[in-house]
Amino acid sequence: MTATPWSDLDLIRRGWHWGLPRPQTWAPAAPGVPDRASNLGWARAEPVRSLRFLIQRGLLLPFTRLVADPKVEGSEWVKDLERPVILASNHVSHADTHLLLYALSQRTRERTVVAAAADYWYQRPWLGRALSLGLNTFPFSRTGGPAAVLHSSSELLKSGWNLLVFPEGTRSQDGRLQPFKPGVGHLATETKAPVIPVYVSGSHRIMPKGQRIPLPAPATIKIGRPLLAGRAEGSRAFTSRIEAAVRALSGAVRTDASSGTWIDRWQAAAPKARPLR
Amino acid sequence: MLALSYVRSVPRYAIVKAAAGRGRIATSELSMLHLGDVPEPLLPGPQWRRVRPSLAGICGSDTAAITGHASLYLDHLTSYPFVPGHEVVGVLEEDGSRVVVEPALGCQVRGLTPPCRQCQAGWPGRCENVTEGDLEIGLQTGYCASTGGGWGEVLVAHESQLHRVPEPLSDEAAVLIEPLACCVHAALRGAAGDTVVVVGAGTIGLLTVAAIHRLAPPRRLMVVAKYPFQREQALRLGADVVVGPDEALQRIRFQTGARRLGGKTDSILLGGADVTYECTGTAFALNQAVRFTRAGGHLITVGMPGAERVDWAPIWQRELTVSGAYAYGLEAGGRSSFDIALELAPELELEHLCGPLFPLSGYRDAIDYALKAGPLNAVKVAFDLRDLRV
Amino acid sequence: MGRPGAVLEVDRNTPPTLFHFGEGIRLERLPIGSRILYPPDPLEALGHPERAIRRALAHPLDDDPLKSLLRAGMKLTIAFDDLSLPLPPMAEPDVRQLVMEEVIEMAAEAGVEDIHIIAANSLHRRMTADEIRHIVGDRIFTTFYPERLYNHDAEDPDGNVVVGTTAEGEETTLSRRAAESDLVVYVNLTLVPMDGGHKSMATGLGSYRSVRPHHNVHTLLGSRSYMNPPDSALHHACNRQGRLIEDTVRVFHIETSVNNHSFPAAANFLQKRETDWTLGDQAAVFTMKQITDRTPVALKRAAFHSMRAPYGLTGVTAGQVDAVHERTLAAVTRQMLVEVEGQTDIVTMGLPYLGPYNVNSILNPVLVVCLGLGYLFNLYRGRPVVRQGGVVIMEHPCRYEFDSVQHPSYIDFYDEVLADTTDPALIEERYEQRFAEDPWYRQLYRNSHAYHGVHPFYAWYWAAHALSHVAEVIVVGGERQVVHRLGFKAASSLEDALEIAEQTVGRWPSITHLRTPPLLLASVG
Repeated sequence: MTATPWSDLDLIRRGWHWGLPRPQTWAPAAPGVPDRASNLGWARAEPVRSLRFLIQRGLLLPFTRLVADPKVEGSEWVKDLERPVILASNHVSHADTHLLLYALSQRTRERTVVAAAADYWYQRPWLGRALSLGLNTFPFSRTGGPAAVLHSSSELLKSGWNLLVFPEGTRSQDGRLQPFKPGVGHLATETKAPVIPVYVSGSHRIMPKGQRIPLPAPATIKIGRPLLAGRAEGSRAFTSRIEAAVRALSGAVRTDASSGTWIDRWQAAAPKARPLR
Repeated sequence: MLALSYVRSVPRYAIVKAAAGRGRIATSELSMLHLGDVPEPLLPGPQWRRVRPSLAGICGSDTAAITGHASLYLDHLTSYPFVPGHEVVGVLEEDGSRVVVEPALGCQVRGLTPPCRQCQAGWPGRCENVTEGDLEIGLQTGYCASTGGGWGEVLVAHESQLHRVPEPLSDEAAVLIEPLACCVHAALRGAAGDTVVVVGAGTIGLLTVAAIHRLAPPRRLMVVAKYPFQREQALRLGADVVVGPDEALQRIRFQTGARRLGGKTDSILLGGADVTYECTGTAFALNQAVRFTRAGGHLITVGMPGAERVDWAPIWQRELTVSGAYAYGLEAGGRSSFDIALELAPELELEHLCGPLFPLSGYRDAIDYALKAGPLNAVKVAFDLRDLRV
Repeated sequence: MGRPGAVLEVDRNTPPTLFHFGEGIRLERLPIGSRILYPPDPLEALGHPERAIRRALAHPLDDDPLKSLLRAGMKLTIAFDDLSLPLPPMAEPDVRQLVMEEVIEMAAEAGVEDIHIIAANSLHRRMTADEIRHIVGDRIFTTFYPERLYNHDAEDPDGNVVVGTTAEGEETTLSRRAAESDLVVYVNLTLVPMDGGHKSMATGLGSYRSVRPHHNVHTLLGSRSYMNPPDSALHHACNRQGRLIEDTVRVFHIETSVNNHSFPAAANFLQKRETDWTLGDQAAVFTMKQITDRTPVALKRAAFHSMRAPYGLTGVTAGQVDAVHERTLAAVTRQMLVEVEGQTDIVTMGLPYLGPYNVNSILNPVLVVCLGLGYLFNLYRGRPVVRQGGVVIMEHPCRYEFDSVQHPSYIDFYDEVLADTTDPALIEERYEQRFAEDPWYRQLYRNSHAYHGVHPFYAWYWAAHALSHVAEVIVVGGERQVVHRLGFKAASSLEDALEIAEQTVGRWPSITHLRTPPLLLASVG
């Protein structure tokens, strides 16, 4: 009487009447328990999402913690998000995506898609699929014109997915910030989504360009306050504003108010007025 | 006569040792053990008698010698070739009366006067003259080339070695008298305590439990036993609590209200048992025992160990008293361990502990069985030589 | 607007039912004619939690607005429920974090310098720094930990004071810090009707001496059930103690209730009614079953315990404890209530991997009994779902595994106490004092992260009512030796269990299945 996969499958097939109309005794489902509609691709459909949950919680995130023991600053900006956001980060190593996903809260991470270069990652189908499964990436064309590049990204944003992009377009060789491509500004102005600048430091020691194996080294992820494009602001101007914000984060030092009473510390730790209400 | 002999041979010893305790190899053609026709032992003097063994037990020390596990220390105190077998109940050839043999070969047995100070005090097991006298070197009958042993048709014994077996005691029970005497001696060596732990529930462990329960009963007697049959017998013979080896430390901690430090595999107790009787002779049990006997407590090793690696730091830090308990002798009150054992024997129903009997010709199976007695629900495996008597 | 709680009668077309099975699931076909109790769909969450909290604090029931109670120079203590609530743990931000941030903001504005924040964990284990951070949030954690944000130590001889004795002779103690404060603000999360009210202060900040008068077999046998406070002797005693405490210290209670959205979106199908399952849900269940059937336990446990529930706040009320708690209970009942007609012969339940006492840890066999025969059995109002002399069938792997850090006294309870007897009254008489006073358990409770030495006894007493009410308990899928040690019968499948039960309840028994989690409260008429 032990259950085999076949007997389980059989039980489900007969239990839920595959190929037959729904029985009358089954009352129609209420909208009660929300089941958010997902969009664009198998990687965002249900069974894959659960599998990704297990892979991330069971394997990838603990591994990231083991290798990098990441410190996260500014995590309050990515909690409790009311609308989908674009996360714009610097790019130094392949480890960046893992560190960024680690820094997000579970709810945000569940709703985040990562832009991965189609020409690099999706050349080999199995690699692309593995990445889509584990990290929820989608192919992002680096070489096509702005329209093609941005269509899928904006679709995802409109369907409720947060988007993680690397506006530099490629990994930096020396760790310094390269000029941002204008795509991110375009996307933000078109979809009116807020852009959250993020700066990852320390990942160049973990897995610099050219090295295949990740080596343990501490890393820090700094998250800044969200930016909204101004009414008349052009996409290029917004892009440079975003670039400046990321650059500012790289040098930013969090003031550690250890003096005074708890009241001073409390007020120093307050999140600045949130623009998302 | 037909007998099993143990010969001394370095290459054979190497082979058996390399087999690391495998019974089939330790009793094979390449081993130190031979079954064959050997000359009968001669009577060394007028006070010696010929004994025909009925049942001869296989002891842990015998299997240790056969598998090469025994410490080479004992090699100095043995003469080769010898016929093993020191747990003997047999009949006197001259009048057919049933006797049990007390194996220790002390000054009196060797015909030496005056006796050494150990024999004078009544401890033939500690005799300092084991190299002198009418016999070759040997601590016991069964490790001496002159006397023969239980695993042969005939052995010779000095009068002082013979104890009459009372009629109601069967042979199966009487074959356990010698180990019971060892355990009686061990039980009387330990001080009485609040909580006493006996580690191991093979022959020595179970008989130690019986002896402690009747001669020096503590407030709480705990036994560490691995196998279900052993647990049953331990409870029957007087244990209060029986635990398994993996949970021993935790259960002792609870019973004694001690504190426990350290993880699963390497814990120590702050506090613990007052007296511990170690009856397995293995490194694992010894190392565990020094960690759960309370500081200032008493650890008595009853089971014969080999050259075991034991961490001495706990012994030093906890100021433990470690005593060996070997053989038997004159106990406090002027009675010998053997006499006390014979007195206790009837109520213990020792027949339950006497496992399958094998003929000498089946020695390979017998020794294999004895090596695996625990999981096979047996305690004392013995040779039955009654059929060899015509 | 979701559907209310429902009783589904199984017919030929009903799909198999999902049973929780520890860190895994089973799909069972219940016999035709069985009833399945489904909890109501999750209630709509409040749109703006912070606003609701501020409103509650500004307009409390039968009490002054919190702002007016705070003044510079006062001694303020904030106490909050520990991580035994809610189950599964809540996704960030926790409602207690939102409430406490508002309270502390007010305190900061008023210039209150002397604040202590105490986790009211009673005889539960101390929480780790990470666990505290998870409940209170980063801001509170970095500001106050560790000097002013800590766990309550019920065994600290100087840290607990005797407040008095009730009219029925129940000794009452309280944390010294709380007793000496000018104001105590208690931040509660009421998940089930047992929580909250006077019980918060009386047990949360109490000690063994104050908890013993009602955490005993006699009181629990008189609590039918402790999920329905009016019928619960446990709550009557807590109320008496609570009133004594209210006479000693000024307490401002803030109680919150959440909906029953218990699983993250990825695992939503665990909550959905089987008849609503889409093909995607079915595939997810199939995959989950295959994976959990084959994965090592430690890995599964890590994955399950990392799940956070996206609860929505459904109500926040502040003020005087009785008025507040009445409102809270109404909200909780609305979320949990299922109307049931009549009792059954057999009740079945699948036990999940998590109970109140093993967050981030193992559900050992003693806790299995506490969860199944304690909490789930007692989720009724009126009469138990199963009739007197009926049978309870539970599904759980029941492995012999214990967390030696969190539950050291549970191991000894299983090995020593249950080996002797499983009768709660005998256990109480013979062993409770020894465990309660053992210095080693006390040290582990105070310095490590272990439950108090006496805690396994409470876990067992929690099942006392069930043990006296039903004739037989059968565990499906459990390790035989363990199930027998617990005093129950073991079966390999539900069908076999039903056949064994026939001996007790006859050939065609009526069966009711509790489809939980999410938790439900059965109102049995």
